[in-house]
Amino acid sequence: MNRNKVITMRHSRWMILASLMVGHTMLLGCTQEPPPVPYAQSGEGYSDKVDLARLEHELPLTPADLMKITPENLKGATQEQVDQIYARLTAGPIPDGVYDGRMFFPKGSSERARLAEIVGGGIKGFIVDRKAATLEHIGEFIWKGKVFYRNEGVLRNRIEDLLILKPIVGPNVEKIQKLDVDGKDAWLLFPAKLYCGQSLLDGRRESVIIDYAFTDDLPGYREMPDVLAGREGLEIRDEIRMVRPGFYLGRAYIKKVFALNFTLYNKAVAEKESAAFLSSETVNEDCWIGNQRMTAMANKPKNQQARLTATR
Amino acid sequence: MAMQGTRTALTLWIGLTLFAGSLILPAGSVSAADHSSAPSSFKYGTHLTDAERVGAEIWFNATAGNARFFTYVYQQRLGVMIDWYRVLRSDAREERFFRWGLINDPDCCKPGDPNCPAKSYDETYGFDYCPGDNELLTYVGKTGYRDPACDLKDVPLAHDDPHGPKDLRQSACDLEFGTSTGALGLRKFPNPKFDKVKWLKINGGRQDSWDGYTAKVTPRKDREAPAKSHLIDGSIEPPYRIGMSCGACHIAFDPVHPPKDPVHPKWENLSGTVGNQYGRFAQILGSGMAPNTIEYQVYGHSRPGAVDTSAIPNDQVNNAGTMNAIINLAKRPTFEEDIIKWRKTHQCPAGGDERTCWCEPGKDGKCWERSRKKEFVHHILKGGEDSIGALEAIQRVYFNIGSCSEEGWVNHLTDLRQLDPTMRGFGQTPFDIGQVRRDCSQFRAIEDRLSEVAAFLFSGPPADLYQARGLTDNAALITQLDKEFGKGAVAQGRAIFASKCASCHSSQSPPFENRDFRETSKNPKEKGLRVDWLGNDKLVPVSEISTNRSRSLHSNHMKGRVWEEYGSETLRAKPGDPQLKEPSDGGRGYYRNISLLSLWAYAPFMHNNAVGPEVCGGPIDEHYHSPYVDKEGKPLASPPPCWVFDPSVEGRFKLYKASMKDLLNPSQRIPKVTGFNSEVTIRLFPKLSDSNMERFVDTAIRFPAATPAARIGNFRHKELVGDLVMARVDFDKLKAKYVGRYGTEKGEQIANSIRAKGTELLAKPGSILEAGEELREVYSNSLAIIENDGHRFGEDLSDREKDALTAFLATL
Repeated sequence: MNRNKVITMRHSRWMILASLMVGHTMLLGCTQEPPPVPYAQSGEGYSDKVDLARLEHELPLTPADLMKITPENLKGATQEQVDQIYARLTAGPIPDGVYDGRMFFPKGSSERARLAEIVGGGIKGFIVDRKAATLEHIGEFIWKGKVFYRNEGVLRNRIEDLLILKPIVGPNVEKIQKLDVDGKDAWLLFPAKLYCGQSLLDGRRESVIIDYAFTDDLPGYREMPDVLAGREGLEIRDEIRMVRPGFYLGRAYIKKVFALNFTLYNKAVAEKESAAFLSSETVNEDCWIGNQRMTAMANKPKNQQARLTATR
Repeated sequence: MAMQGTRTALTLWIGLTLFAGSLILPAGSVSAADHSSAPSSFKYGTHLTDAERVGAEIWFNATAGNARFFTYVYQQRLGVMIDWYRVLRSDAREERFFRWGLINDPDCCKPGDPNCPAKSYDETYGFDYCPGDNELLTYVGKTGYRDPACDLKDVPLAHDDPHGPKDLRQSACDLEFGTSTGALGLRKFPNPKFDKVKWLKINGGRQDSWDGYTAKVTPRKDREAPAKSHLIDGSIEPPYRIGMSCGACHIAFDPVHPPKDPVHPKWENLSGTVGNQYGRFAQILGSGMAPNTIEYQVYGHSRPGAVDTSAIPNDQVNNAGTMNAIINLAKRPTFEEDIIKWRKTHQCPAGGDERTCWCEPGKDGKCWERSRKKEFVHHILKGGEDSIGALEAIQRVYFNIGSCSEEGWVNHLTDLRQLDPTMRGFGQTPFDIGQVRRDCSQFRAIEDRLSEVAAFLFSGPPADLYQARGLTDNAALITQLDKEFGKGAVAQGRAIFASKCASCHSSQSPPFENRDFRETSKNPKEKGLRVDWLGNDKLVPVSEISTNRSRSLHSNHMKGRVWEEYGSETLRAKPGDPQLKEPSDGGRGYYRNISLLSLWAYAPFMHNNAVGPEVCGGPIDEHYHSPYVDKEGKPLASPPPCWVFDPSVEGRFKLYKASMKDLLNPSQRIPKVTGFNSEVTIRLFPKLSDSNMERFVDTAIRFPAATPAARIGNFRHKELVGDLVMARVDFDKLKAKYVGRYGTEKGEQIANSIRAKGTELLAKPGSILEAGEELREVYSNSLAIIENDGHRFGEDLSDREKDALTAFLATL
């Protein structure tokens, strides 16, 4: 095996690992039932999928529906079901504080397997590769979530085991910002910018965007490993929408190609605000919710309308 | 002689032009115009009725909400950057026309100039100061801006409008005019999300410049990678959102009253329907991209006045087309076609399916019903694809330039990066007119005023060369032309035209020998329109015309594609062109016989402006690079120079003569192939290096400079990738696919080639380019590369006859 090849394989793994830490991996195998909310029938091909505007018009999700969705049961959904849920969410408020993160790969992964066949099996080196199971699990162990600094428009990723990253993080790890989360140290790496922006799945309303493109603008930026997520690296861009207070559903993209889903959960926020959410009285929207939702909201009783603080 | 060349048909860039040349309204649909008062004059045109005036205001100014598209959606969803400051900066106002083909707004000024209300660029964030900016500038970074469109003075609803008599039209505010940017048709809006602190920080403390925001940052690790700027950084909001009206592509210099100085035109020098023959909208929409990006190289080289209107919906057919003139529409031919579409009605059955009949909530009696009927409609677009009616074609322009893009367009587009056929975005899906009408107020604001827009477009007359030359009548022009081209040239040319050209380029019926091709309508309401459209608008298989066929293979109106609802069933039932190797079924494969009205003013010719000299903006035009190639397809070392934009009467006429010479002498044409002017590298992995990570092996695809842009733009890379997979997992299925398409022997050969390539790619991913090259015939939507071939009609005429025909056509 020549040197170039060794380097390639090593780097491929680290690139994958880096992507995992900012929200990308897949966990295969799952027996859970999907969230018990209504779904439209969709075929397998792209042209057989239900139009998202029609889906929301005919099968909108109520707050009661959204309360039935959990990070656990999402793993029992197919990718199409996850997409259908995501398209019926709004961005909600840009989160603040510490959120636990979990990456998940939906059941019925034949679609992903096909993608893996296409780009992983057919053209080597692509990020989605079923053979990367070991690395996926490593990612699951070390990426624990995100910390939002809402007022600064910044986010950082929580890493709980720095040892495994050492080969790419380099020396002077003591300079990496740390945070105590539930009595455990969490290193904060991979900073990103936060803003309301375009969803790459559903253009009908904005999502909260977590953008690593100019991560080097941000305080605490550390070239290695942060550069791996940025514009010179994998060009990672996440988008999230709120399922309910304290619970967000996310989608991660590499170079504008969808990579995988993740959830973000803050138990304290969820417990504090869910009751009010269920009665639909206190939902803030930081991002534009789109004309379709605006019209639907306008037709609801005033006490059920979202508090629209967002400007188009 | 099917003189299909010339200023071709409508299309538009991203739309705009599109429909443009089109229309003729169904009976009753221009009735709003009938309600208008006496004709009046104002800056957008002379002798306009009130309905035409309203239509003109919309045409010139309405963005219908697309400022969000050109500020956010385009950049974030499509990943292509527009550097609006580079295009519109006021300190380069004098270069704007020659660099970008944009027409300066006579009402705007450079801050700091005498009599300009703005004294410095600080006040305008580096842009021109324009009427309405005293109000607009106070709202930058704030909410509450009241759009000038709210003040539009609508004409009364037509008495026979099914939605009347009560006026239930959508608020005119939703037309969203904003104020001028200083370039006609490009409009600006105060960005409520602008953060002055962030802005000053990124721009080095300066408010008069966007340089820090738009500056490209050279990659530190990979010097071959394209440089990027904060244009991709959605966390920084510019002071303005920039929108686009139809006028952006259609307003230009009136051929009859050209400006003395094209940089400083006056309103009397402008026409809203002439079509901008200089506009570089492909380059504008890629102005924020580094030249070594695939997006810029494939889509950023359209000729002045041409643009690929399907570049955004992307059907992977590289087909830039001209922004043609909209003139004499009342005499444009119509055809009876089988059409499924929404039609106005007063009520819907209770409990019915709203996908077939829908009433706007809160507006009793304002309903639409979707039904199938036969109607007489125009053939709109180069291949007649827009074929359900002129009003619908007009409105589609707005979607093609980004109106309602979030509500109902972008979710239906192809994402060129999406390789998984099971995922949304892998291919187009049909735009749903009913859904967008329901969910997008800007749709309704435009739809409720389409009659007025159409009325304005119908007001465009032909441009007569005799008037442009200040002569008393056409007879005086004939005298001049006979002097230049030889005694009796015009009469001889007329006879040639009648016998060899009129069968395609006249809307009158044969025999043509005694037809008056310049006859003027006697109907006083038609304000001097010509009787003859000078084109029969019939669809002709592209192989008969043999011009570059890519535009005819445009596929967006096919079943299942984004503009399906804008194509008639008649269109889609047409057979493919059996002479083509490429797929041409489902409504593709045709060009319509276009009009030769005012031909003298619209050179160069053909649907892509490729026959005739190349035109450019001169030394400051960084977008021009020679497309001339030798017989082997290699760029000429010493190509003919481009002709610098010259909108004067004599400038147009010289260009016309040179283009006619090129048209009628096809064997003397130097082939043109638009190629990349920079090498492009696409990395499957980022290339990084430091002490730990020295470099990756080559996982890049490299496109060399001079790669034909069409070759890449026409290539169905997704199908290749899918086939490579199929070759590994189900070879029999792959074989069956190609045996079905090409027959046993060739089909099996292709399948075997694909399988072999797949094995090769495992070892060398970058070789996918070579794989594509070998299998180009299999995966190309169009194999046409030469841009200026075909339409050889007339090549067998003598030189004297060619001159005569040139002389006669100049009188039309």
